[in-house]
Amino acid sequence: MEQTLTYKSIDNTVLDTLTPPQRSYWVLVALLFAGILLGAGCWTYQILVGIGVGGQNNPVFWGTYLINFVFWVGIAHSGTLISAILHLFRAGWRNPIARAAETMTVFAVCTAGLFPFIHLGRVWMVYYMLPVPNQRTLWPNFQSPLMFDVVAISTYLTVSSLFWYTGMLPDLATIRDRSHGLRHKIFKVISLGWTGEWEIWRHYTRGYLFFAALATPLVISVHSVVSWDFALSVIPGWHTTIFAPYFVAGAIHSGLAMVLTLMIPLRIIFKYEAIITTHVLESVAKTIVFTGLIVGFAYATEIFIAWYSHNPVEVESFRWRAFGDYALEYWIMVTCNTIVPLLLLFKKVRTNIRILFVISLLVNVGMWYERFVIIVGSVAHDFLPHAWGLYAPSLVEFGIMIGAFCLFFFLFVLFVKHMPSVSMTEMKETLQEGESHAG
Amino acid sequence: MPADTVSIMGIFSSEQRAALAIDGLRETPWIIEQVYSPIPSHAIEHALEPPKSRVGWFTLAGGIIGFFTGFFLAAFTSLRWSLIVGGKPVVALVPFFIVGFEFTILFAVLGNVLGLISQARLPRFETPAHYDERFSGDRFGVLACCSEDEQDELTRFFETNGAEIKTNDV
Amino acid sequence: MSSAWETWHERALRMNRRTFLKIASMGSVAVAAGCSAKPEDNLFTMVRATEDMVTGKEAWYASTCRECPAGCGVLAKNREGRIIKLEGNHLHPVNLGTLCIRGQAALQGLYNPDRLWMPRLKTEDGWQEIPFEKAEALIRGKARAAANRGTGRISMVTEVVGQTQLDLFAAVLQAFNGESPIVFEPLAHEALKFAHQQIFGSPALPVLQMDRADVLVGFGADFLETWLSPVEYARKFKAMHMLSNGSKGVFVQVSPFQSLTGANADRWIGCRPGTEAAVIMGLIRTVTGDENGRNVNRNLRDALAVVTETYTPEAVARMSGVSVEDQTIVGRQLLAAKQPLVLGTGAGSAGSHAVAAELAALFLNLALNPELSLFDFNNRHRVEIADRRSTVLDAFDAMDKKSVELVLLNNVNPVFSIPGGSRIAKTLSHKKRFVVAFSNFMDETAATADLIVPVQMALETWDAYESNTAALATLQPTMGKITQAPALGDLLLNLLPPDQRPAADYQSMVTRTVLTGQDSQTATTWLKTIQKGGRFGDDRATSGSPKANLRAAATLKTYLATLPEPSDEYVLMAPPSIRFFDGRGANRPWLIETPDTLTQIPWQTTALINTDSMAADGMKDGDVVTLKTQSGEIQAPVKAYAGVFPGTVVVSAGQGHSVFGRWGSGQGVNPLAILDPSVDADAGAPSFATPLASLEKSGRSVALATTSGHRLALGRKIAPTVAIDQIGHQDSHDKPGLTMDSFPLTPPLPEGYDPKRDLYPPHDHDGYRWAMIVDMDRCIGCTACVGACYAENNIGIVGEKRILEGREMAWLQIQCYQNPADMARLTFLPMMCQHCDNAPCEAVCPVYAPHHSKEGLNNQIYNRCIGTRFCGQNCPYKVRRFNWFDWERPEPLPMQLNPNVTVRSKGVMEKCSFCIQRIKDAHNVAKNENRAIRDGEVVPACAQTCPTGALTFGSLMDKTSRVSQLIKDPRAYQVLGYVNTKPAVIYLKKVTQTV
Repeated sequence: MEQTLTYKSIDNTVLDTLTPPQRSYWVLVALLFAGILLGAGCWTYQILVGIGVGGQNNPVFWGTYLINFVFWVGIAHSGTLISAILHLFRAGWRNPIARAAETMTVFAVCTAGLFPFIHLGRVWMVYYMLPVPNQRTLWPNFQSPLMFDVVAISTYLTVSSLFWYTGMLPDLATIRDRSHGLRHKIFKVISLGWTGEWEIWRHYTRGYLFFAALATPLVISVHSVVSWDFALSVIPGWHTTIFAPYFVAGAIHSGLAMVLTLMIPLRIIFKYEAIITTHVLESVAKTIVFTGLIVGFAYATEIFIAWYSHNPVEVESFRWRAFGDYALEYWIMVTCNTIVPLLLLFKKVRTNIRILFVISLLVNVGMWYERFVIIVGSVAHDFLPHAWGLYAPSLVEFGIMIGAFCLFFFLFVLFVKHMPSVSMTEMKETLQEGESHAG
Repeated sequence: MPADTVSIMGIFSSEQRAALAIDGLRETPWIIEQVYSPIPSHAIEHALEPPKSRVGWFTLAGGIIGFFTGFFLAAFTSLRWSLIVGGKPVVALVPFFIVGFEFTILFAVLGNVLGLISQARLPRFETPAHYDERFSGDRFGVLACCSEDEQDELTRFFETNGAEIKTNDV
Repeated sequence: MSSAWETWHERALRMNRRTFLKIASMGSVAVAAGCSAKPEDNLFTMVRATEDMVTGKEAWYASTCRECPAGCGVLAKNREGRIIKLEGNHLHPVNLGTLCIRGQAALQGLYNPDRLWMPRLKTEDGWQEIPFEKAEALIRGKARAAANRGTGRISMVTEVVGQTQLDLFAAVLQAFNGESPIVFEPLAHEALKFAHQQIFGSPALPVLQMDRADVLVGFGADFLETWLSPVEYARKFKAMHMLSNGSKGVFVQVSPFQSLTGANADRWIGCRPGTEAAVIMGLIRTVTGDENGRNVNRNLRDALAVVTETYTPEAVARMSGVSVEDQTIVGRQLLAAKQPLVLGTGAGSAGSHAVAAELAALFLNLALNPELSLFDFNNRHRVEIADRRSTVLDAFDAMDKKSVELVLLNNVNPVFSIPGGSRIAKTLSHKKRFVVAFSNFMDETAATADLIVPVQMALETWDAYESNTAALATLQPTMGKITQAPALGDLLLNLLPPDQRPAADYQSMVTRTVLTGQDSQTATTWLKTIQKGGRFGDDRATSGSPKANLRAAATLKTYLATLPEPSDEYVLMAPPSIRFFDGRGANRPWLIETPDTLTQIPWQTTALINTDSMAADGMKDGDVVTLKTQSGEIQAPVKAYAGVFPGTVVVSAGQGHSVFGRWGSGQGVNPLAILDPSVDADAGAPSFATPLASLEKSGRSVALATTSGHRLALGRKIAPTVAIDQIGHQDSHDKPGLTMDSFPLTPPLPEGYDPKRDLYPPHDHDGYRWAMIVDMDRCIGCTACVGACYAENNIGIVGEKRILEGREMAWLQIQCYQNPADMARLTFLPMMCQHCDNAPCEAVCPVYAPHHSKEGLNNQIYNRCIGTRFCGQNCPYKVRRFNWFDWERPEPLPMQLNPNVTVRSKGVMEKCSFCIQRIKDAHNVAKNENRAIRDGEVVPACAQTCPTGALTFGSLMDKTSRVSQLIKDPRAYQVLGYVNTKPAVIYLKKVTQTV
């Protein structure tokens, strides 16, 4: 079924996605925008009335805002992973999905970046967290994990955006050269006058390599830092050394799942079958099995250590997670993140696009609940039994959550219709490699 | 350059042919002015054997500056009021190292970008006259120049290597 | 004045400096000007401040708390003309400087937004505000008319007041041919007074020297909550019950409902409601029995023999449900005691049963201690002047018979607090009858009146009050007028024609009272008395205890006949509560918001049922049940409680007002409404317990607004206790380690650090390292400290809804942990910010809002806080409180706000600051006097008001300070110390003894 790709066919397939969209597309965009407005409205209401309109309380001071923050940061990870780490490993199957994954990363970071603001009790004072010189020489406290976050997330946003844009330059030139009128003018500017002459390629390939080399440690550090928001506390269920690797694996797990969630529809709508082959999807699926196993191992380790510690607080904390008020959430987490992905071991499942899509959705759900279990499930039931309490998100929080999802898909939908959602250049490279193997 | 030279662009449909042509040209006195390619082709790289890019130095410089910026920002700010938090020393090495690390990456990447645009001379607002739009698609271009009298010879050379010829006298 | 000042100064030197500071700044009668109930449109500078008003500095005025008949002395803290805090008067013998939570909340009466500012006249079209002159004229007219029409046409019902006021009432009523005033007090201790009358000939309520007892056996008298004089007895109880050189007194309580008092007993024994007397009789039988080492007066023994013979342990066990073993245990304690003291029932028991119990208890006391050396018959509680309930009811019934035309009500609410109050409401709202309520609030009774006249409250007026026979306490205006209301005394005086007035104004009558019997009648003497807050411990008649009349045994016998037979029908008990007393506190936010210590539930009224019987009936917490009696029915959510005898339903009284301001109305339920309205014939004692006709599940269920997530410590080192014989050698068995139990005490000082445990070196402090010692053996869970904390630190009130959401704001909580072995055994844990040396909250804040001060405090900078809530999340003690909203403070409540403490806005974190504003004040004083702060000079609000002295504050860097001494106590431990945050709040384990 797979017709052989040529440079031309690649260009045509990709450029065909940039044709003027039909009404249905604009309807979708409008719906998503409405969702964003809903979220914005809820946030405004919260700022005016007070953070109490959310469900947070004492002891659960942190709710869905930070759950979503961690969730989206997690999503943001596989993008860079695919484009950077797999680039270093020269894994060919990354090329067709690299662009979409990087795009996902950038937009996910933007979405994630919103939540710390939404979470603040006095968001209008947020600049206190920035090292802004002032006459009283009041500065932020760089010992706080939250300051690590500020530095890491902003770095990550900058780096991934630059990485994304640099990678797009050759394709932007391609579009420039195939378009006329306004689009031509626009792309002439944003392609920075790219000509593909060897002098440019020489520096470009080198620079791109360093990009990848730097993005790799960054992507690991960012989610480690996020995990330290919890691991550097004293709360049972948070205060553990495995958090950094555990979170990074989880992040990649959710990110890859989100890649599938995005790529499978894209593949159908944009007729990318030739480019995004089942082999590509399979490779992603296999990686998900791997990350799923790591996450599962982390769950097991936590419980083992709690039991081994003989510390009544730790023991109770994890007993309660599995069998207490949030048992349902806990088992959703375990099932969706560890057990369901195991199905992907079977080639039949892997190669069945529908099932693959469903599983990817389940993993996303599971990873959201993992953050719920970690964040809420620990503090709701920590040291002082007298202080124990429960938490449930309020309508306002749901509104904001919907808004965030809409924002993400809104940006993504706009992108795929106006920018090359597959890296033509990198696709051509794959061909050329294939050729050289042949010859 | 003497006024009586002409630049001839040979446009190839595959990188292999382009690479061969380049190899051939380098045995002749003709000068390869420019090579256009839609992809960073290894074959062409082998043929051209270009010098190593110096972008990496920018990256390295950025990284080093970044680390010290981050670390000393943290140390300086915490010393302004010397407040004790959580019983830790005012200048706490471990956390400040993390800040330093993140700044390292940030500045290294900025340096990298700076290196890239300065070395590759981007952005450019004019595409050269002999540029062919297919170069961003599926064609490879080799621009060589020779003296007027050798023009036909060079043309023939290109054609034998299976290129289509594009001349534009300046 | 100068001579007075010298004598004055001598006295001052003999006092500790804090007292001196206060007393010295007390004084001038001139009250600060410039306050008004309505917020001012313009600001006016005070051109000439009154002599004792210094801006930014407080002036203290001595007065007397009138929140209950006990009459504790208070010092009102006046800042820029408004009182912002009440503290106990150190010189007053009843409370010696401490206050209960009701006393703390008195300010919320003064500044209550529902307070009436103008008289209200009932007209066809609702209430109509009229000027005070008009109201006065109206009353005068009605009074004259009634007087002209004949005798007994005017009657007055008043709360318990001082003799001066009472005499004035009598005089005025007499002038208008009325009868003497009725003194109505819902908790009038009729049974106890009757017992005294029967045995000693006079209905007295002598002060007990509980502190000198070594064995205390109570049968329900809730002396830590509402009984006679709670603050006084809380102090005396702990004096006998605290650990002193290796031993402590014994307290056993036998009662159907444990109550806070029983929760503080070494052993609580449940008994069937109404059968307390039977148990006591059993004990008398044991004590008067032969060869048990106690020489009981022969006549007494003979007199009692006939009555007690049937009360064999088995019979008693059958009647009361108190096992024979438990009886022998109590008996053994009494026989072994040197100074035993037996207390009868408290409020919350049925009339005649209570009488029987009180009679029996007195006889038991006689048998154990013939000269009753712990009864001070020369010093009696003021509440004894209250008329018995039967008298009050008769008075109301008589109004129709004698066609009383004018009724004056002084600050009483019988319609609410008397079972069958509706009948009284009918009487009062009779067409032909003009009822004047001297009340500052629209409550059930005031609502039935024709005219409501607000009069000055205790803290605004001149008065004298005999807290007890030995203490004449004075009241003075402690602040400028915030209302135009007159003093009740003056208003009544003005009713009389000028020539008949006993004095020109009420203040001069008070002056007369104050000066009578004093050697010098000068203004100086008077001023000194006012400054002290009264005349205390004057030499008084010292006659021995009166002769016991043994014929009372017969009375006892007849009453014993009324004791209930064992039955399995539910009995409803409606004891008064420590927070609301008889219900007068139900509109004071601090009282409602502070959880009841036993249930940990604020705002709501619950029906407490024994845990097992509840399980048996298949009920769970929050299920709403319908309680039916002959008199009506109420609905309340049930709560399982181990300290209730099976077959008893306890619904504490005080809430469930139909009309009582924004917080009181419709909040909770009122059990009094369905109690049996009948009273005991001879004693006139009302019934606070009534058999239930039925108890049905309504099928509904509500969420209980509990502030406690879990009631067990689950083997965590949170609220450990130590057996008295184990003190000192319980930690010795294992050497210091890193586990929860083996982790050593790590004081927040360099010596608390050890490279084996700590990654970082210790940090030094500058001069002081503030710390607090909490002696859990002294904490009785009365929550006075919580009230003081709310008052001192401007803490917001969140309301029932927010409590349900888990948004309570209390900086200081009295947590209550149950003993898994015996759920009725409770340990109270005052929990506030621990001001850790290695505080987890500090390091995680991105903006330094919480950080460690040079003196070891864990500062919280509200202006800097941006509300990440990371600190609260990372606090192992969960003592940080977040402002989820801007909390409401309806006018004029903001007048109470402490100007030294920021009022926090929404979105910032807050918590206990160790009352840093008081530390700062002490710093200023010390700096002016060019010296260091002395130990005991800084006293946080909670420690200041604690009736039992459970809290001690000071600097650990001063090796001689009390905290430095107490930290050496073998009972010392830190809550969750193994987390190694090095808390500066160090607890002393509660001492248990097996009885």
